[in-house]
Amino acid sequence: MTKYGLTALLLCGALTLAASQSIAAETLKIGVVAPVTGPAAESGRFQVNGAKLAAEEVNKAGGVLGKQLELVIEDDQTTNPGAVLAFSKLAGDSDIPAFIGSIRSTQVHAMAPDVIKTGKPMMIGGTDPKLTHMGNPWLFRFRPNDTYSARVIAEYGVNVLKRKKWAIVHSTDAFGTAGKNALADQLKALGAETVITQGYTNNSQDFTPVALAVKAAGAEILSSYVTFETDQGILAKQMRQLGVDLPWIGSTTISTTSALRLAGPALNGTWGVTDFAEKSSPASEAFSQKYMAAYNTKADVFSAWPYDAVTVLAKAINDAGSTDPEKIRAALMAISGFAGAEGTYDFDQNGDGLHGYNIVHNDNGTIVFERRIDFKD
Amino acid sequence: MSITLQLLFTGLGIGSIYALVALGFVLIYRATNVVNFAQGDFSMIGAFLMVVFAVDMGLPYWLSAVIAIAAMAGFGILFNYGVYYPLRHRTFLPVVISTIGASILLQNGVLAAYGPHPQSLPAMLPFPGIAVGGVFLDSQYLLILAVTGAMVVLQYLFFERTMLGKKLQATSQDKEMASLLGIPVALMIGITFAYSAVLGGLAGILVAPLLFVSINMGSTIALKAFAASIIGGFGDVTGAIVGGLALGVVETFGAAYISVPYKDGFAFLVLFLFLMVRPQGVFGEKVAEKA
Repeated sequence: MTKYGLTALLLCGALTLAASQSIAAETLKIGVVAPVTGPAAESGRFQVNGAKLAAEEVNKAGGVLGKQLELVIEDDQTTNPGAVLAFSKLAGDSDIPAFIGSIRSTQVHAMAPDVIKTGKPMMIGGTDPKLTHMGNPWLFRFRPNDTYSARVIAEYGVNVLKRKKWAIVHSTDAFGTAGKNALADQLKALGAETVITQGYTNNSQDFTPVALAVKAAGAEILSSYVTFETDQGILAKQMRQLGVDLPWIGSTTISTTSALRLAGPALNGTWGVTDFAEKSSPASEAFSQKYMAAYNTKADVFSAWPYDAVTVLAKAINDAGSTDPEKIRAALMAISGFAGAEGTYDFDQNGDGLHGYNIVHNDNGTIVFERRIDFKD
Repeated sequence: MSITLQLLFTGLGIGSIYALVALGFVLIYRATNVVNFAQGDFSMIGAFLMVVFAVDMGLPYWLSAVIAIAAMAGFGILFNYGVYYPLRHRTFLPVVISTIGASILLQNGVLAAYGPHPQSLPAMLPFPGIAVGGVFLDSQYLLILAVTGAMVVLQYLFFERTMLGKKLQATSQDKEMASLLGIPVALMIGITFAYSAVLGGLAGILVAPLLFVSINMGSTIALKAFAASIIGGFGDVTGAIVGGLALGVVETFGAAYISVPYKDGFAFLVLFLFLMVRPQGVFGEKVAEKA
């Protein structure tokens, strides 16, 4: 009995091994770390949808190295430990040659040391400038970093809107703090003055103290680095209620679909910098139409960057002709003038693919493309 | 001066929400000697029911609120039979773990059913608020203060003036004695869960137009409410209300005059001081268990 049992077990093992090998032969796996649960589950759904849309197109066009692309999605629970755990699960699968990481800078920071250890490229959406400037050769950014958003905010506010006295409201997480620092530097460089800076922690229920402080500071213009849509909504409503009617240029969150739905008219008339704007280029417009057709929802930045990341990564692996990490890395670095939904990709030596932002305006609830500001460096 | 009043108004408004949720904590604790860690999720469920009835089905606002609150009472009874009742003869810990499990189940259940998109609920009163001097009184905060005030009075009358209220009090004080007197203890505990769910749901419904409706909306509120009930004296009804209001005011003023990023810190600093200096809270008795 035991003898037969053992034989059966061995047989099972052999079959499983054979099955896994045959699957490995048919598909090429890409690991995706995404917030499926937790406070950012909202944007996580857009991330997964964007990545899937790109994978389907890649597969229709013949796949990668003759194989079908398969996305392996792990939930980061919108937390740093969750991100590290999700990444370690994916990193443990030796069939995965590259990863799509998080749009949250904090979580990319958490995973970064393990990415170095794993020694395989990760496409990221976090915009903290440091991420590509701390000697990690494996991080490739598919969004312009915050020095660019800060440069564009400062450029537009000081030189186009002609405002010199600034109020900055920012989340105290890695994204918000880095954005605030970059903006303060850019304003100083342009000769404008930051009269008040107010930080808040994510998932705040009340912004009355922030609004009152901004109101009392005598600023001419308000700028914000907000992480979550719910915070953006509450902040906007309370600012307007408490009589802060300053012109307002916000980071990306201010013009996302969810923020508009939550805040309603409180965000009317605001400007936002966004790396993704539907009308900014033919490639952006084409992506928007495909996304709408596939999911019946308007695309936004959360779905545009993973779409580009999967598309560009697939191209890089095909260009490299191999899943060797060093070769994929070299092929990514060689990408130049690739028109994606987010803009035109030219990877610099740091791993930053994009170097500019769009300015959009909220015309009574409709986001309208104003202009694209690109920098050479 | 107007800034101080504005902060006081906001602090009391948000404090009222903490107070309502803290009351739910305290009532269940008194009836069962167990802390219900899903109390914050009662608020989330109440707010989502409101979205279902008022936004998705387009029912009138008042009718949606009535149905949502009635549904919360039913939900509280189900919660009792699903989460507490099977473990009623066990010690404190298994029941607490059971409520934590229920909390995770509820959040992810709503996530699965409704998706991760936060929902918005229009304000309940037809005007945005009143400006008095330099102070803006948000209509929703006014409503929250009025409803909390009314609930406190109604609850006092219910517990002190009705037979059912007295039976509930007797049950929470001494279950054995209550059952010797012919009070159906299990039923009383079921009613307590129903009432706590109503209080939590009410807090969620009231706060939804301000904070939006998301699956984790209850977590932060519940944490503060729990701190509020300890500051007030855990197990004390007046303490829960006073603790909730005080916490709302302290964190709002702390944020305005000291530091916004440390806003949550002030609430827990107060909790910390109380645990060191006066662990029984403002209204608590020195002996934790009644004889």
